[in-house]
Amino acid sequence: MSFRKRAVVVGQSGSNPSSLQSPTQNKTFPPGLRPSPLDGRLTISTGTHSLDSLLAGHVGLALGTSLLIEEHGTTDFAGYLARYFAAEGVVQGHQVHVLGMHEGWGRELPGLGTGEKSGGGREKANDEKMKIAWRYERLGEFGSARERGSPQSPGTSSSSSRAVFCHDFDLSKKLVLPSPSPMKFIPISTRPPFEFKDPDTSISPFTGFLNHLMTQLSASPDAVHRAVIPNLLSSALYPPESSRPEHALQFLHALRALLRKYPSQLVAMITLPVTLHPRTTGLTRWMELLSDGVLELSPFPSTALPAKSTPGAQTVHEEPPQGMLKIHHLPIFHEKGGGGGEASGFGDDLAFTLIRRKGLVIKPFSLPPVEGDTEAQQGGLEHEHGKATKVDIEF
Amino acid sequence: MSSRIPPLLEPYLALPPEASLVLLTSVLGASTNWLVLRFLHSAFVGSEASSDIRSEDESKVLLVSFMRDLAFWKENARRMGLDLDKLAAKKRFAFVDGLSGLFLPRQQKASSAKVASNILTNLVLQNVSHEIINVAKTLRDSEGGVQVLLVVDQLDLLLAAGGDAVGAVSVGEMLMGLREEVYSTIVSLSADLPLVSSHQTPLEADHAAFLLSTAHQADFTMNLRLLDSGTARDVSGVLRITIGDGTLEDNRDIRKRIEEKELLYFVGGDGGVKVFERGQ
Repeated sequence: MSFRKRAVVVGQSGSNPSSLQSPTQNKTFPPGLRPSPLDGRLTISTGTHSLDSLLAGHVGLALGTSLLIEEHGTTDFAGYLARYFAAEGVVQGHQVHVLGMHEGWGRELPGLGTGEKSGGGREKANDEKMKIAWRYERLGEFGSARERGSPQSPGTSSSSSRAVFCHDFDLSKKLVLPSPSPMKFIPISTRPPFEFKDPDTSISPFTGFLNHLMTQLSASPDAVHRAVIPNLLSSALYPPESSRPEHALQFLHALRALLRKYPSQLVAMITLPVTLHPRTTGLTRWMELLSDGVLELSPFPSTALPAKSTPGAQTVHEEPPQGMLKIHHLPIFHEKGGGGGEASGFGDDLAFTLIRRKGLVIKPFSLPPVEGDTEAQQGGLEHEHGKATKVDIEF
Repeated sequence: MSSRIPPLLEPYLALPPEASLVLLTSVLGASTNWLVLRFLHSAFVGSEASSDIRSEDESKVLLVSFMRDLAFWKENARRMGLDLDKLAAKKRFAFVDGLSGLFLPRQQKASSAKVASNILTNLVLQNVSHEIINVAKTLRDSEGGVQVLLVVDQLDLLLAAGGDAVGAVSVGEMLMGLREEVYSTIVSLSADLPLVSSHQTPLEADHAAFLLSTAHQADFTMNLRLLDSGTARDVSGVLRITIGDGTLEDNRDIRKRIEEKELLYFVGGDGGVKVFERGQ
């Protein structure tokens, strides 16, 4: 409640908290970092606007926390979230550590949208961008997630927003990596083929990950490090012994220890195929308990909706949702006990849509109008426009 | 505002009687952290509030945390007005870190923490319990009271991450050994459905066995879970208090103090907690 009051005052003074802090951010904070409007801890962007605004009012992923994204089925929406996360890190000049993947993964990062190249030209390009439109977009998500229907006065807030917190990416483009690549790829350590010895199950296959992270963290203590672990424990990538609880959970526990040890340097995003490791198993539950944030993506089996092109969808200009998103655990918010974050969206029905230019858009789920029910729709529309006739009332 | 102990919980949060065991259970999304902090607050501040208590009766707290680091506990204790650094300097508080060093290879740089850092570095149960008992003894033998309240946060991690070497029985025995050394004990465990209902894997079977046996030993348990009916803006979860088998039979004073209840709780953004009955 106290937070809400503060926010109203800030809104009346004509700007939102993030733009208030952006001048100081330019001076004090490294690129891509922003203090949370809730408690001032530093956050980074996940590279997805709508995901940032879901994270319990912090409008970003707090440094020193991890996010576990679970996905059902054979689609790879979670992989896109991970790619946006990595691409955002590359653009912001963070160190990106991709664990368990080869270089090929890094070649498929989405490029910056709106005609921007990557690298040195990005500051200028951001300046030249249509700032006002940009601010509106940010405000819309930020404001609507936090307090719905509050009067916003975005006109004045377009003044100082040089450092972009979350970039727009375009899936049809490829991100051009800067020449000393900020991405490092650590494939999982597997046994050489044709070695027929009994595998030594006491050696954890994750040791390489931890050693790499520890050396990198102590080597460059000023940089922000993003660890990305796509498809953790997927049997296509990881040796079978990695799914043993002692290995997987010890690794996650150690990762948690690292995150807590370097609370201003490290963030992690992990994706987990829950079709292979269902949420009803103890192992998955422990992996969730050891992560700071847990999201679950359930894509719809196949979208017959786009072919239909319902009149409702045309008028609203909305892409049909491609799946449901469930929030099980949020960083910091649930660690405290859960509650007091009206913006969390925890427990709401959320749907996601992957759009080429906007990335993954998460919004409250609403069923599209039933096909063939056009009469009722038109009737509804007429009612809204105040054209209700006597026929409607009498029937 | 509501950062103090919620009135409805006062009888439960008061220092448990000697040799008692209190079990706190959590599920994903309803963590016991706030409850543990309330226990700390009650142990430190509750005794100071009543003036007739002599300094020999001051309770001390040994917190063993397997999932959270000291910084987290310090930050949230500060919101309640507890300075753990100061309490540690007064030898009323000690912390055993089960997070930072348990599975992370040791690094050369030694961190200098104000609260004496007792970092567990080894999963072997004998070493773990040896380390904890050592700290408990130092805490007890230092000046002040002799009542050491042991709080173990997520002891079940040892079971989950320990592999074949750590079983439900051995962790139970270790807990018993720890209880012998301290005045009373509070243990928090996870009680998520996948961990207690299916016994497919050794992990699940061990967890269920350990949780059940601990619950039967406990004088009372406080279970936290999410609302069954979905989420609400002003409710974080449900707190269910159950009295254990042993307490039901013998007529100790704890029986008079507490009763079985189901309450709702709400943790505010500022860390304050409200506890209320359904419908209030």
